[in-house]
Amino acid sequence: MPKTETFILNMGPQHPSTHGVLQVQLELDGENIVHAKPIMGYLHRGIEKLLESRTYVQGVPYTDRLDYVSSMNNNFGFCRVVEELAGIEVPRRAEYIRVIMAEFNRIASHLIFIGTLAIDLGASTGMLYTFRDREDILDLFNLVCGARMTFHYIRIGGVAADVQPEFVAQAYAFLDKVPHFMEEYNQILSGNEIFTRRLKGVSQLSVEESLAYNMTGPNIRAAGLPYDLRKVDGYSVYPEFSFAVPVGKKGDNWDRYQVRFREIFESAKIIRQALDGLPEGEFMAKIPKVLRPPKGEVYSRTESTRGELGFYIVSDGSTKPYRVHIRRPSFVNMQGLDAMCRGMLIGDSVAAFSSIDPLMGEVDC
Amino acid sequence: MHNGILLTAAGWIRDILTFLFGNELLVNILMTLVGIGAIISVILTSAIVFTYAERKVCAFMQVRIGPNRVGGRFGLLQPVADMLKLMSKEDIIPNGCDRVVWSLSPMLLFVPSALIYSFFPFDDGAILADVNVGLFLLLAISSQAVLPFLMGGYASNSKYAMIGGMRTVAQMLSYEAPMAFSLIGVVMLTGSMKMSAIVEAQATHTWFVLLQPIAFVIYLITATAETNRTPFDLVEDESEIVAGPFTEYSGMRWALFFLAEYANLLSISILTTTLFLGGWHGPVLPGAVWFWLKVLVMIFVFMWFRWTFPRTRIDQMLSFSWKVLLPLALVNMLLTGVGIYLYQSLC
Amino acid sequence: MFGKGLITGMRVTWKHFWGKKVTFCYPEEKLPMTERFRGGHLALNATKCIGCKLCSLNCPNRALELTVTVDENKKRHMQQYLHIMGRCLYCNLCVESCPTQALSWDKEYAISSWYKEDMVHDSMSDQTSAAVSEVKPHE
Repeated sequence: MPKTETFILNMGPQHPSTHGVLQVQLELDGENIVHAKPIMGYLHRGIEKLLESRTYVQGVPYTDRLDYVSSMNNNFGFCRVVEELAGIEVPRRAEYIRVIMAEFNRIASHLIFIGTLAIDLGASTGMLYTFRDREDILDLFNLVCGARMTFHYIRIGGVAADVQPEFVAQAYAFLDKVPHFMEEYNQILSGNEIFTRRLKGVSQLSVEESLAYNMTGPNIRAAGLPYDLRKVDGYSVYPEFSFAVPVGKKGDNWDRYQVRFREIFESAKIIRQALDGLPEGEFMAKIPKVLRPPKGEVYSRTESTRGELGFYIVSDGSTKPYRVHIRRPSFVNMQGLDAMCRGMLIGDSVAAFSSIDPLMGEVDC
Repeated sequence: MHNGILLTAAGWIRDILTFLFGNELLVNILMTLVGIGAIISVILTSAIVFTYAERKVCAFMQVRIGPNRVGGRFGLLQPVADMLKLMSKEDIIPNGCDRVVWSLSPMLLFVPSALIYSFFPFDDGAILADVNVGLFLLLAISSQAVLPFLMGGYASNSKYAMIGGMRTVAQMLSYEAPMAFSLIGVVMLTGSMKMSAIVEAQATHTWFVLLQPIAFVIYLITATAETNRTPFDLVEDESEIVAGPFTEYSGMRWALFFLAEYANLLSISILTTTLFLGGWHGPVLPGAVWFWLKVLVMIFVFMWFRWTFPRTRIDQMLSFSWKVLLPLALVNMLLTGVGIYLYQSLC
Repeated sequence: MFGKGLITGMRVTWKHFWGKKVTFCYPEEKLPMTERFRGGHLALNATKCIGCKLCSLNCPNRALELTVTVDENKKRHMQQYLHIMGRCLYCNLCVESCPTQALSWDKEYAISSWYKEDMVHDSMSDQTSAAVSEVKPHE
């Protein structure tokens, strides 16, 4: 009887499908994965420390660099915490604009998710289509804040600038396009037998397991728990909009894909309601030239595209935060990778870490 | 007898050579060399044309415009630029590789893919070796392509290459069986394995794609698997194992793999044309033109597959071959037999 | 099932094969930059500048190096205004903090360079730019 042994395959940090510079050490038994160990830190920039050495206002552009495909959501999260700390009341128009931007960015980020999942499964054409449609959202952002990637648009106390009338018009035009391009992805990806077979029943995580790994966002909703901070906490003006929280049934890759797919429609719904009911008024609260929040500490969380994005800030009463800790959803969600990969094949490992949708800028922080 | 343009051209060359040398044996040898040269040039030209075509087809399907810089608005000289780039690249030899096996692999891979061209009828009578067991020999030779992949994967001293090499063996071996069985239907209809006889049979009756639709579908699927193209490109699966057996190759060695890949693509398209689409037969236009038209359509279809579909997984791919395609091919054989029996007893 | 989805997918790519393409041929065609676009070099309108240094104070990453001299009338003059692009986050905080709107982006986004030294831009060098011409300096 010949003896076999496992071997270690280092996937990454230089590898075509690790979404940046993630390294995954796969312990393989032939094609089967025995153990998957994510190793991170290749993109560590010390953003928490950077935030501690900058004033609150100066810190906002650094949050852009956390999860760089949904910067608006990061700005939103950070600004909400500082506002809570300093007791700043944000004008309603600003809140509406923030929600519009955050949801647009959620669509953009989920489009990237669909695209990268497609290319990790070998369908490069699907990726190009999603990136084509994401480009429209970036154009919208470019119009309103002058950047396509690091927006720095949501500021402490409001937003950087008011939305222009042409932005509103273009936003409506984009929302009208959403069902069309989603139908196209349905045709080329969701309806494709090879695609569904690659995803269905693979890398299942139950609700209990997901909770044990502290997963949040679409990953836990795919397991079947309708845990969405927009509903649970009802922060900002989200309670004023009607939207559903899509949940999956089994918690496999297919459910993770479907949950995000359906969230795009829900986000579009929220944006339409917000655009319809956009109130008049100020877009920026009156904030002091030098922001000195009172002594204290605050943890506040928002539903980022990848899950619960929390900022914990300790203020010592000076212009700079004493301590900042960021609860990054990608980083926490990565814990489930081993459980998702174990017993699967090499091909599934790629699909698994694509379906967690980690972003290395956020994992390494 | 009415001859195709290729045979007429060959006749002219033979006349010229006979006029120059006079010795019949020498002329025969020279004519064989001319044939080999023609086939090699077809392969090389096709590789150049297909790299460009693949880029353009891919780009158009992905709502891009593709190469548009080198050589005018349509980037016609892009393959030349690619080739120059490949030739000017450093030849990197990985540490700890098995030098002999490693450097033999790309060359050996090219041999079977070039060799099978001698069995293709490009036009009326334009076939280098019209042997009685043409189809059999063709399948036998093309199945040799497994070994160089395994050699390259094994000798590279890289885990990605090793996995890729193992996958090649599993994939190619399991797809050869349904491919051979699906082609048996064609052989049963013709009653011969001679390639020219298969083309003739389609001219007298009808294209075999109409008589053998199941075999055609099975053949298309297995052909994509044999050429390692999406959805069965697990061998060079860039999102999992980087480039499979080619991971450690660079420069011209890698170009040879590339060349073999496109030679395989062309040969599989030619085979489809010959076996199922009536070969060089067609109305009005000369045979060679028809032949290339059909081949180009087939190549477009393979490219279309590649740029539409995702990739399967190794276990799905293998079980699809053994549990679906092979039984289906056997059923097709049975149906063909019954059909032939009924046809003969009725007419 | 049975390949229906595959055929649908192929129809989509077939449609796009003949359809309109979305590529921009970059150097020949350029996307129009929006009014609020942040990028390129900082341009300083020296006639508007009062030398208050608020911009460099607000900069999160010390991307601005200023040299200010004070003349006999206690009036501040900007001598040198260096924009170190390698450090710049393009966050727009300097432009927004300027009390006299003397700063603007020149929107020339193709700013990559071979050497690190080229990443330092003298924002006062280009006094003929559009930002300056709108306000005519006194003779």
